[in-house]
Amino acid sequence: MPIYTVGRRRVIIALLLSGALLLTLDLRGNAVLDTIRDGFSRAMTPVEQAADVVTSPVRRAWNSYDNYDDLERENLALRDEIDRQRGTQAAAEASIIDYQLLLALNNLPSLSSIDSAKAQVVGGATNNIDQTVEINKGTDDGIDVGMPVVNQAGLIGKITNANARSSTVMLVTDPRYSIPVEILAGTADLELEDPSNTTPSGRTDDENDDLVEQSEAEQAAEEAAAEAAEAEQAAAEETPPGTSPEDIFADEVDLPQAGDPNDPANSTTTTLPEGPPETDADGNPILEPFTTDADGNPIDVPETTTTTTSTLPPDPEQLEKEFGVLQGRGQGRPPQVRFLQDIPSLAELQVGDLIETAGGSESLAPPNIPVGRVINRADRAGVGGPLLEIELNADLDKLNFVRVVLFQPLTEVDEPEVAE
Amino acid sequence: MFAALFQSSLIRLIPVGMILLAIQRTVFADIKVSGVVVQVVLAFVAAAGASGGSERGAVVGFVLGSMYDMVEGTPLGSTAIAFTVAGIVAGLLALIAADPQWWLKAIFVGLGCAAGEAMLPVVRLFIGEEHPWPANMPKVIFIVAVSGAIMSPILLPLSRWCLKIRKSEWTAPAEQSPV
Repeated sequence: MPIYTVGRRRVIIALLLSGALLLTLDLRGNAVLDTIRDGFSRAMTPVEQAADVVTSPVRRAWNSYDNYDDLERENLALRDEIDRQRGTQAAAEASIIDYQLLLALNNLPSLSSIDSAKAQVVGGATNNIDQTVEINKGTDDGIDVGMPVVNQAGLIGKITNANARSSTVMLVTDPRYSIPVEILAGTADLELEDPSNTTPSGRTDDENDDLVEQSEAEQAAEEAAAEAAEAEQAAAEETPPGTSPEDIFADEVDLPQAGDPNDPANSTTTTLPEGPPETDADGNPILEPFTTDADGNPIDVPETTTTTTSTLPPDPEQLEKEFGVLQGRGQGRPPQVRFLQDIPSLAELQVGDLIETAGGSESLAPPNIPVGRVINRADRAGVGGPLLEIELNADLDKLNFVRVVLFQPLTEVDEPEVAE
Repeated sequence: MFAALFQSSLIRLIPVGMILLAIQRTVFADIKVSGVVVQVVLAFVAAAGASGGSERGAVVGFVLGSMYDMVEGTPLGSTAIAFTVAGIVAGLLALIAADPQWWLKAIFVGLGCAAGEAMLPVVRLFIGEEHPWPANMPKVIFIVAVSGAIMSPILLPLSRWCLKIRKSEWTAPAEQSPV
């Protein structure tokens, strides 16, 4: 018997042509195919739920084996991250409140004014090409195709398929994903360093030691030179202005206005002297910045170096915006931002700049959703402009709860019907 | 033509395909090997090709690939074409041995999986997607192929049952009397 007959070849060719035909019909949009697809998805739902219940012990066992070390490391890193961010949280919250108030005063749309639906990720991509996840909310919850999906860190993706009780989210890293974004040039200095090898001031331990030694030397010289003047001044005034403990601590909290937390110019260092208070010519103690107890007796306070660092928003006049299009590039590749004009007089793009959604009448996402930071810049010859590679704020490998922003661009919002 | 050949087989194939698809979307979407999603549906298609020949493998690949596209929301036909190719390749490879050992069939299944996985981005490229290739494509293909070969001892009997294929029974030729 021949192993490869004409009849068999016909079957194979017919199947391949049928596949191509289906592909063509589906890409051009076909209501019948959409109905069949929706019906099959509904039919699959109970099967998947049953499979989910039955196989959950297997998945848990695998995850406990596979993810234990990663979780432990992540836990430690997160503790450091929390410590680092706790200090800047209050200032950030205040800035956000001010920002929302300003938007409300000027009748401008903001992200907080748009409804959203909370959902849980119930499945990931089932192949190695698509960057998608499935969530447990669908059209019954007001979700529609095209709506942006975010989590606490920022933009995640958009809805590409919405069933009644589930939806598919195309992640930002999918090659088919693209969205207009704005790059906030000049925000690179806000990037914080890895806290593992730094102190809260942003300096290493060695740098701090050097600063303390330098401060001690300078103080000794200043004390020797000012000793005579102080004695005269103390004789003239029992309590010289500006030298009370309140004054000293008032100076200490004079925070820098903006910029890099690692920049020494943005750190205030106050050094308090060690030892008992000095006396004037009459034997009266000169009121130096030292601490007393409840009875008024001086407490021996060792020399203290206090470094206060604050990260505040940069000067708005120094911020410039550049607009481009963010596009995913698949698994293992960072997304890119293209179509940048790169006019130095307008904005100078550099590594570390913040990326946000740009919004617009046709954009599928509202403005000002944080996306990520620039991690690489590649200049291209000609009019192509530079390419920016970005690191996303959201960790797309570990998604759990997400929020679907129930946003539709103005061009797709149905106009209300006017009653005749 | 299809109905005459596979009408009875489809009755078993579709429910089994739905269960495998559900397992793919729950278990194997979560359990990844070195970051690669193991493809159990693709392995089943290759197993059907290895046990039933290229023709049956192509039909199973087309049916399960279409189901896959319908559930996943990928362009209908893109996965179907890739899975059809996987069934054809596994079926053609199985022709090199009349009654192959289990390990040889496992190799056929693995190679069929590799062909199907490699075809997926090719089809996507034809329909105009940019960058359909994963950054670690050789690793993806290798892991999908090896995992398919490992699963083949389970999937080969299952595919034979679905397609109602009986195990070949070889009989020694009758001895001819000397003239």
